[in-house]
Amino acid sequence: MKLNRRVFVGTGMAAATTLSAPMIHAASHGKPKVVVVGGGAGGATAARYIAKDSQGEIDVTLVEPSRSYYTCFFSNLYIGGFRELDSIEHSYGTLASDYGINVVHDWATGVDRDAKTVSLAGGASVPYDRLVLSPGIDFVEGAVAGWDLSAQNAMPHAYKGGSQTELLKAQVEAMPEGGTYVMVAPPNPYRCPPGPYERISMVAHVLKASNPTAKIIIADPKENFSKQGLFEEGWQKYYPGMITRIGPDFGGGNVTVDPAAMSVDIDGELIQADVVNVIPAQKAGMICDAAGLTDGNWAPVSGHTMQSRMDENIHILGDSTNQGDMPKSGFSANSQAKVAAMAVRGALTGSRVFPAKFSNTCWSLIDTDDGVKVGATYEATDEKIAKVDGFVSQTGEDAALRQATYEESIGWYEGITSDMFG
Amino acid sequence: MTNTFGIFASVLGGSGLVLGLAYGWMSRDYRDQEIAALTERLSQMEDSRAALAAKADQAVAFEARLEDLEQALATARDEAEAARQAAAAPEVAATERVSDPVAEDVTSARLDFGDPAKGAEVFAQCQSCHQVGQGAEDRIGPHLNGIFGRRAGAHDGFNYSDDMQMMGADGLAWNRDTLDAYLENPKALVSRTRMNFAGLKDAGDRADILAYLRQFSASPQDIPEAAPTAQAPEVELAPEVLEIVGDTDYGEYLSSECKTCHQQDGSDQGIPAITHWPTEDFVVAMHAYKQEIRPHPVMQMMASRLSDEEIAALAAYFAQLE
Ligand SMILES: Cc1cc2nc3c(=O)[nH]c(=O)nc-3n(C[C@H](O)[C@H](O)[C@H](O)COP(=O)(O)OP(=O)(O)OC[C@H]3O[C@@H](n4cnc5c(N)ncnc54)[C@H](O)[C@@H]3O)c2cc1C
Repeated sequence: MKLNRRVFVGTGMAAATTLSAPMIHAASHGKPKVVVVGGGAGGATAARYIAKDSQGEIDVTLVEPSRSYYTCFFSNLYIGGFRELDSIEHSYGTLASDYGINVVHDWATGVDRDAKTVSLAGGASVPYDRLVLSPGIDFVEGAVAGWDLSAQNAMPHAYKGGSQTELLKAQVEAMPEGGTYVMVAPPNPYRCPPGPYERISMVAHVLKASNPTAKIIIADPKENFSKQGLFEEGWQKYYPGMITRIGPDFGGGNVTVDPAAMSVDIDGELIQADVVNVIPAQKAGMICDAAGLTDGNWAPVSGHTMQSRMDENIHILGDSTNQGDMPKSGFSANSQAKVAAMAVRGALTGSRVFPAKFSNTCWSLIDTDDGVKVGATYEATDEKIAKVDGFVSQTGEDAALRQATYEESIGWYEGITSDMFG
Repeated sequence: MTNTFGIFASVLGGSGLVLGLAYGWMSRDYRDQEIAALTERLSQMEDSRAALAAKADQAVAFEARLEDLEQALATARDEAEAARQAAAAPEVAATERVSDPVAEDVTSARLDFGDPAKGAEVFAQCQSCHQVGQGAEDRIGPHLNGIFGRRAGAHDGFNYSDDMQMMGADGLAWNRDTLDAYLENPKALVSRTRMNFAGLKDAGDRADILAYLRQFSASPQDIPEAAPTAQAPEVELAPEVLEIVGDTDYGEYLSSECKTCHQQDGSDQGIPAITHWPTEDFVVAMHAYKQEIRPHPVMQMMASRLSDEEIAALAAYFAQLE
């Protein structure tokens, strides 16, 4: 195995462990090796559960380019002023120090499925017995006419965490009095179905206080969207007259942007905007395609184990997958990671494997102390992950329930992030 | 397809719409006013409708109660008559009574409501903490005037446990069924309630207390006569269910689903902690969600797909953590 010292940097106390013990261990004792690509909701959870539950029997390497993971969940609350940026930042230190995971800060650039190795941008090649991919999303090229990644500073997507979120927040706060915010909403399927609309709520919350004559326009290619009744009710109640949604019947799906001129053409009408938040159509993280694991935009998997339909040595999690009925959410990715971790351990160490159970709940904040939620449980069938049962908040709920729902989401955030990062 | 004028109107005119699917999502200025006026009228009419409906409901409930009373009266007369006859021909009368469905109903209805006079006696054991009746005040526990129909944890000025407040926020309201479940085993309904009371196991005693308390509530119609929505009146658990020995490995896998929301370090901000929970209380609580006696929709959903064995497995896993 080629080892490039430069890339084995770990975080904090992790660095020492990373360089010495576990890797050498693996080589000399021939422990089964798992490589996890992507340290987000799916990948961090999978790495942690495999390392924790195998109690040292499996050698786990986590490949993730960033030293800090900024969650997309609650990034809207940061935009709305309900969270500080550092409260949604997480590091990989505990995964390395307490769970003995080799954290490698690098990009995976390719997978040799015959040789069972992952190549890294830094030049190393890491062998695996089982590979777990949870690389999140990338954007479909040409999805929004006039926009590509080079335009993301002028017209941010803020649909991957961190600097993009900061940029969008700064742009909203710098809007001139009575200015215009345009969101170009994505077509289905995309990460976090209520995400764009929670964002609209949070932007409206900020503008209502600081810039009440500002306007928000959503160009939307979808007929309907997640929790629509709840959002509409909230928008009318808190932000009357501020938000205009242009659906597909009125050309909301026919959009061209001009990042240099800061203009948006919606079905022939030119709008001069101060902030343009372009959330393009999405596809599986690029590494899935590079490894030949996609069919169309997404990577098909079996719900029983989260194994790729194209390679049984590879498990794929989270947003990148085409699995059936589950929405692309952090909660879903975390839930899928536990099923995959169990299957991987079963395959490599013979530990017991139980029937897969999945669940998801997505909370959204509409205004101060007004939270709503939607959730469901799922099971694996041979064909897909199939929905079993579900619920959604109701319109007209009283303030106490909405506040409890919001507080619950804060508890959930603490729960899931400690479930991911230890 | 396209309404170009509309886009401009809403952007420039500034009266953005957030309204009715019938209009699509595009607004026009002149339409906005029309929409606003129509919305206003609609909401007024809806208010009146709601008010009327509420009255109609009350009338129906009133009528139903009246009917029941008449029926109960008739049955009581019949029974008295039957008893008189029984004195003469005991065997025949007994058979008749058993096969008389109306008489049966009344018996069970009487059980549902209980006997307020007996309830007053049973209530004596509650009085060290709870007052009820004229001039009642909060003591160790809240006073119980007007308890029927009230949200759990919602009586102003009383310092409830966090769990009781959370249950109230989740939608727990006190009616005959929920009070009955709470009296039977307080912790089955509200895990960390401050009410330090083991529970009244005798269904008759509970029915009597509830009949007594109900006299001090303004809206006794909140007591469902024979709950047609069939909420289970208490957490019904066969002893075998409590005796299932859980599979800890399976419990460990299942518990991973709990940990997405419930924090492992036992903190309970927004979502209650589930660490250090006595096994039996855990099992009873999960079944209370499964039977939809506890109100939270996420927990009802999660519990509804857990079998008795799976609940036992979770309990066994959590128990061995401690
Ligand atoms: C605004 C917004 C709000 C949201 N709110 C919620 C919410 O309230 N609740 C909820 O459940 N979900 C929410 N989500 C969705 C949630 O963020 C995603 O569904 C979740 O992060 C998906 O997990 P994942 O593991 O698939 O991808 P990610 O969490 O995105 O992780 C992917 C990781 O892989 C790394 N990576 C990618 N390619 C490579 C490579 N080639 N080599 C190495 N590493 C790589 C990336 O750096 C990244 O860290 C929200 C999303 C957005 C945008």
